[in-house]
Amino acid sequence: MVSPFLRDLLGRSAAAESMNWLDDEMAAMRADFNQRRFYFAFSGVSRRFDKHVSVATTEADRPELEKLCEGFSVTGWDEFRLARVILLTVLSEQPDSVYQETLEKVLGSADLREQVAIFSALPLLPEPGFLLGLAREGSRTNIVDVFDAIALGNPFPAAHFPEEAWNQLVLKSLFISRPLYRMQGIDERANATLAEALSNLAHERWAAGRYVSPELWRSCANFLTDTIVSDIERVATSDEPGQREAAALVTASDSENRLAHLRELLAKQLDAVRSGDLTWDSLGEMLATAS
Amino acid sequence: MRFFDSHVHMVSRTTDDYQRMAAAGVAALIEPSFWQGQPRTEPGSFKDYFNSLVGFERFRASQFGIKHYCTIGLNPKEANNEKLADAVMELLPLYICKEGVVGIGEIGFDDQTKAEEKYLRIQAEMALEADLPIQIHTPHRDKKTGTIRTMDVLEDVGVDPRKVIIDHNNEETVKSVLDRGYWAAFTIYPHTKLGNERMIEIMREYGAERIVVDSSADWGISDPLAVPKTAALMKEAGIPLEEIEQVTYHNPLNAYGQSGQVQESDWEAAEGIDPTALFAGNTLLRGGQDIQKAMGSDDLVIR
Repeated sequence: MVSPFLRDLLGRSAAAESMNWLDDEMAAMRADFNQRRFYFAFSGVSRRFDKHVSVATTEADRPELEKLCEGFSVTGWDEFRLARVILLTVLSEQPDSVYQETLEKVLGSADLREQVAIFSALPLLPEPGFLLGLAREGSRTNIVDVFDAIALGNPFPAAHFPEEAWNQLVLKSLFISRPLYRMQGIDERANATLAEALSNLAHERWAAGRYVSPELWRSCANFLTDTIVSDIERVATSDEPGQREAAALVTASDSENRLAHLRELLAKQLDAVRSGDLTWDSLGEMLATAS
Repeated sequence: MRFFDSHVHMVSRTTDDYQRMAAAGVAALIEPSFWQGQPRTEPGSFKDYFNSLVGFERFRASQFGIKHYCTIGLNPKEANNEKLADAVMELLPLYICKEGVVGIGEIGFDDQTKAEEKYLRIQAEMALEADLPIQIHTPHRDKKTGTIRTMDVLEDVGVDPRKVIIDHNNEETVKSVLDRGYWAAFTIYPHTKLGNERMIEIMREYGAERIVVDSSADWGISDPLAVPKTAALMKEAGIPLEEIEQVTYHNPLNAYGQSGQVQESDWEAAEGIDPTALFAGNTLLRGGQDIQKAMGSDDLVIR
């Protein structure tokens, strides 16, 4: 179902002429759906809107966006992305067979920004079981923008990915240096298998003398094993402030007191955690800004 | 100096080529759809090929700070497989309105068969429908006849010559192409096409108006630096700088800019990887001060 709110949001920045074109296309799709016309409209967004203009959203839009889908966000979107997401929601009003066949065809020939738009639309589209296959295939991409559209700021993976797919998504995010704090559901979807895989990844990178992001430990915090406890001991003595902050965040959430012996070493960081100045999100944001 | 190579097949080239092109000042390029050497036998091969032109290759170029555009079409050689050609005609509408698709191409004649003419016409009509420029491949054999026949077909369909770039011209074809109002592109390609010394003579005779220089570098022995090398050779030969800039940058930009899908601000204002940063210590090269060094060769001549 298309949301009048999204259309109005696009209209805040886009030219009236472009919006008239979009309205005509939406009306035509509803009156008499034609696949060829849809291809032209979907790709032709690039001729009507401006990819350099960001969608004019503010904090005040939050409740309306949440109504569409919990966790749904348009932050950082350009006009192409939103216009295409709107067209996709109109497409999804078609009977399932038409909707699914057309969506697969469009994705099968999508350019970079079109792929980004399709994956950004996932939380608003029906038939998540069908979409899951597309999203998992999409997350195998080597193109960062496409990966980000699925993994970051998108509630779809946390809501629908089975555990093995979620775990791969987190591991791949770390591999290609994506900011984990922007993965929705990163804490809720943490699990013991993922924690072990993350610890293994850290060991592999330490062995190779490579950087290990402090964000890696976020999904390990509630799944401490003997190995992870000793990993955190190592991280707690790092020269890098961000690493010690990560160790403090894990220590702060350690309800079984397995890391109690680190409390003195990390006293300053633990104070910051208690006061709310240091959170996983603030650490992730700091790391993303610094890089 | 900045260059715009309006014909180069990057899927066949390596990252070394991208690095050298960026260092030599190639700011943007167009990759036309063409024959890949090995004939395709399934429509799906075309789909995946078009996908790489609007997808992965665009991304790959961006990693070197080069803006990548493409033209989409069925090349004349493969137009002779009619069953396949019909399937490709069904695919084209999925691609031609996409962002960064600056024309239908490269289309035209190879053996000059009836089938080739049929798909040239269909695709010229599609270009009219989508209001896109056309990039024409002129044949290797019987080039002059093939070039004239191409223009006859295009005019019969009702295409405006100002929206057509006819490529792979030589001394024999240039006059009729310019006289009939088309853009005349020249491919600097060793052995089989045009050498750049000949290009300079052509410019001395015809000037720079509606003239475009490109490399058409592909999977054969060819040179992805043909455009910057030719510019440097032209400078040595005393061709005025404005004319060099016209044929290696402004003309292709204006010709394909008619698509509305490419403009200078795309790279002038581009965010992301800065090629001057990528080639730290070599930033002078971006100013074209030392093109020869950037290209790792003292020899600018391509014969």
